[in-house]
Amino acid sequence: MVKNFVYFLVFVLAVIAAAELIGIQTISIGSMTISMLPLVFAIAIAMILALPFLRKGILKKIYSKKNVDFASKYLIFIMLPLMARYGSDVAPQIREILQVGWVFIIQEIGNLGTVLIGLPIAILIGLRREAIGATLGIGREGELAYISEKYTLESPEGRGVISLYVIGTLFGTMFFSIFAPILLDFGFRVEALAMASGVGSGSMMSASSATLVARVPEMESTILAYASASQLLTSFIGTFTMVFLAAPLQQFMYKFLVRGDKK
Amino acid sequence: MSPTMRRYVRYALVLLLSVSLILFTQEIKLLKNPDSTPITSMTFVGLGILWLFSFIGVIIADLMKLVPIKVIRDFPILGWVSIASLTMCLVSDFFVEAIQSVDFLAITTPILTVAGISVANRLVDLRKTSWKVAIVAVFVFAGTYLCSALLAQLGLFLAEN
Repeated sequence: MVKNFVYFLVFVLAVIAAAELIGIQTISIGSMTISMLPLVFAIAIAMILALPFLRKGILKKIYSKKNVDFASKYLIFIMLPLMARYGSDVAPQIREILQVGWVFIIQEIGNLGTVLIGLPIAILIGLRREAIGATLGIGREGELAYISEKYTLESPEGRGVISLYVIGTLFGTMFFSIFAPILLDFGFRVEALAMASGVGSGSMMSASSATLVARVPEMESTILAYASASQLLTSFIGTFTMVFLAAPLQQFMYKFLVRGDKK
Repeated sequence: MSPTMRRYVRYALVLLLSVSLILFTQEIKLLKNPDSTPITSMTFVGLGILWLFSFIGVIIADLMKLVPIKVIRDFPILGWVSIASLTMCLVSDFFVEAIQSVDFLAITTPILTVAGISVANRLVDLRKTSWKVAIVAVFVFAGTYLCSALLAQLGLFLAEN
């Protein structure tokens, strides 16, 4: 048992070290810049080494049933310090957030767009309970922890949220750095897009706001201020939006959309 | 030791593991880039505070399980941790200062490492569903951004007229 855990611990440290030494990698495709953070490499390394055909010798011991079970059972607790960190991000800015007030708050409701637009598409292409996990939100730590607590990560809902989490981790920043300027071309105000950038993921927010700054450099300070304030709001009240608005709306729409299914 | 006591000791140790991994990550970050967030005595205080607020959140979540209102019982632990932390940070700037000396990205790398290991035995399932989820993901990300932008646009228009 103890020996088993030592393998786990040493492996975690090695993966972290490798991911951090790779560091932040930027890839430029034409005028587009895609940044990959160490956290992307960390999850990628841990998952690639877990591929069944690689699990021999030491890797078999690292990915023993006990260790994998430990990781999924206590993942929520490993995440808690991050949740505590968000409190300290919000507190110093609470006055400014209250001043800019209601516009920031109503645009938070836009986060229900994951359910409103994502869920019908998911049901249409044949997903069922996976869709609950995949459309509750953008699949960051908050949704991951909520789904894992409510359904466990072994359930179909859990698989849905993990898939979205991984896809978001790998491609989320890329997506937002393309999507934000497209909406600008559609005539949206840059302030509105900056506010919308606070989707609840730090890297996605930075990607979206950075491309907006590149497009409208004279508005730089406004864009960054709006984006980070909205991000702070999402990181805090996002949990409430998810639990009290997104989850009930999703249950309602889900029952409505799958009513034609045979029992 | 009673089972409850033993459970809390286990939570406390897992949280200790979590903050230790953050410290390790921040150290590696410094090796890679000496200009990143330095490790000072405040970093240790900050990690201790993160540990404490997390633990307080766990206890609050457990106590709230006794409340006869379903939404409060079902409210996730992570929410209680954020609330506990925000409340304490509003009470004293010292907490804010200490927590901010812990590098933000250093908190994220260990979480993703453990998340990667936790999905190890589900990689096969993941391959089965992920192409559909990949399509859904495009609409999920576009949906939240577009809806927020529409509401913000409308809000700003109303605010200025």
